Amino acid sequence: MKYIKLLIIIVSLILVTGCNRSSDYDGVLNVLNWSSYIPDSVIHDFEEEYNIKVNYGTYSSNEELLAKVTSSKEGTYDLVFPSDYMVELMKEKNIIMKLDKDKILNYYNIDDTFLHQSYDPYNEYSLPFLSTVVVIAVNEANITDNITGYNDLLMSKYKNNIVILDDQRIVIGMSLMALGYDMNETDPKALKEAEEWLIKLKQNIKAYDSDSPKTFFITDEVDIGIMWSAEAILARDENPNINIIYPSEGHAISMDNYVILKGSKNVDNAYLFIDYLLRDDVSKKIIAEYPYISPNKSIYNTISLDDIFNKGYYVENIGSNIKEYDKLWADIK
Amino acid sequence: MKKGDRFFKFITLSPIVIYTSLLILLPLIYIFFLSFCKNDSYGGIIYDFTLSNYIAIFDITYLNIFVKSSLIAFIATFICICISYPFALILRERSENLQNLMTKLIMIPFLTNSLIRTYGWIVLLRKNGIVNSILITSGLIENPLSLMYNNLGIIIGMSYTLLPFMVLPVCSSVFKIDNTLIEAARDLGAKPWAIFKKIIIPETISGVFNGSLMVFIPAIGYFFISDILGGGKAMIIGNLIKNQFLTARNWPFGSAISIFLIIITFFLVWIYRKLGGKLDDLGGM
Repeated sequence: MKYIKLLIIIVSLILVTGCNRSSDYDGVLNVLNWSSYIPDSVIHDFEEEYNIKVNYGTYSSNEELLAKVTSSKEGTYDLVFPSDYMVELMKEKNIIMKLDKDKILNYYNIDDTFLHQSYDPYNEYSLPFLSTVVVIAVNEANITDNITGYNDLLMSKYKNNIVILDDQRIVIGMSLMALGYDMNETDPKALKEAEEWLIKLKQNIKAYDSDSPKTFFITDEVDIGIMWSAEAILARDENPNINIIYPSEGHAISMDNYVILKGSKNVDNAYLFIDYLLRDDVSKKIIAEYPYISPNKSIYNTISLDDIFNKGYYVENIGSNIKEYDKLWADIK
Repeated sequence: MKKGDRFFKFITLSPIVIYTSLLILLPLIYIFFLSFCKNDSYGGIIYDFTLSNYIAIFDITYLNIFVKSSLIAFIATFICICISYPFALILRERSENLQNLMTKLIMIPFLTNSLIRTYGWIVLLRKNGIVNSILITSGLIENPLSLMYNNLGIIIGMSYTLLPFMVLPVCSSVFKIDNTLIEAARDLGAKPWAIFKKIIIPETISGVFNGSLMVFIPAIGYFFISDILGGGKAMIIGNLIKNQFLTARNWPFGSAISIFLIIITFFLVWIYRKLGGKLDDLGGM
């Protein structure tokens, strides 16, 4: 009997405090975003300022995001951050809603160059959040050659000296660009050539790593890396000898976007959050911690925007041809 | 009284029955079902019967992965046997307290997350890591050895991570050998080698086989070890399955490979039975 009383007291305490907590806020917002993308302090400041509770979840690939969204009840999540090709796919699956730009006052902080991209030409459904490109990072303390593009990396003296992204679309796309094809080429003959090119490159590859290729530079494991620009910048912060090169053949670009899901119950809060993140000072805070390329006009990007967009290519949906890519990937590994 | 017994049985058994049926049996049935479906180009599943996923496995590309993967797993299993067998035989002669202590000591590190332990190996094996530094400063080698970011790294990682699954069944079967059998053999003049061949091996083969299954099967599936210690350069079956679910968005094919893996497991058990092994001796199987 004594225990039952104790149990009742504990349960009621939990209920009471639980109620108090949610009624402290004026509203909620359910966000799903890439891990390590927005500093905790930024979210906390938003909660304080607008008195809105942000339920923040993370994912580590676009496919994981899609699986999470489609497998849960409509209205579970409000705001998500899919990359370029996933915006297109979500649009076709009819699970995202059109944006009302009048509700985003800071819309004019966005640099025009980032708008009207191929996956959403009129930005009806999406607005750019952050972007990143694939670059070649070279430790010039050990490599004195003038590396300008992917084909320079085939030289046999770089044996076991390259770390490269563990991403089939990016790496196969890179080999296609090196051979003069489009990054999203699906012609079997081109793919055959790409396979041969990648097998040649493989003897120079020390490891495939997408999570933290900068570690390979910090521990002196490799001198060349093919990685996302943000990682390369972080590696350069540790080792000033690292030079960042934009491959002459072109590079892959990825843009993550604000997207509001259909069936969202907190649409206005989602707009408030987008508007907040687009503020100059908030954008600066994000970039200071995670050095991606920001579309905010007030931010000086160390990377030239012309370089980014003129020679940048997005990963596109290639339908069932993905099976051929997957097989090629299995073949070279 | 009898009624109470049944009630007690029901209460104690139901959690495990519910657990296995909800979290193991049901997902397995779903995977089996998925493996006969088609997929659309957006990663969706079309509920339409097809055998094409199973036919696709027999493509030379994927068969190569099965062969390479099995080879790595086989070597890792063999290394585990080479470590566990002498360990168990030596420990058999010692006191029960020491036996308990040593097997516990083997288990304790494995309470830590295996991912963290795998990252720990990077510190040891990398180019300027602890092993290479010691070898270079002691003058044994001049240039650092490539201990990881290759197949060697994967084999080291696999045999380390899966060692307890070999040690435990091997130890329990070795400790169980009836001492009187060995004594009788000695009295009758059997040489140590004959004792080993005629008594110890037949008495412990089920333990070794049990351990081998428990090492071999995960060793073809642990993709994180090949990603971290192999530098992602070798694709093992685990990576292949993971890719189907995450990047290629081809869940039916991924399911078919998983089912194929289960068939291989049954095949290995079948071989074991053909060789005269008893299913009961496999315990957990």
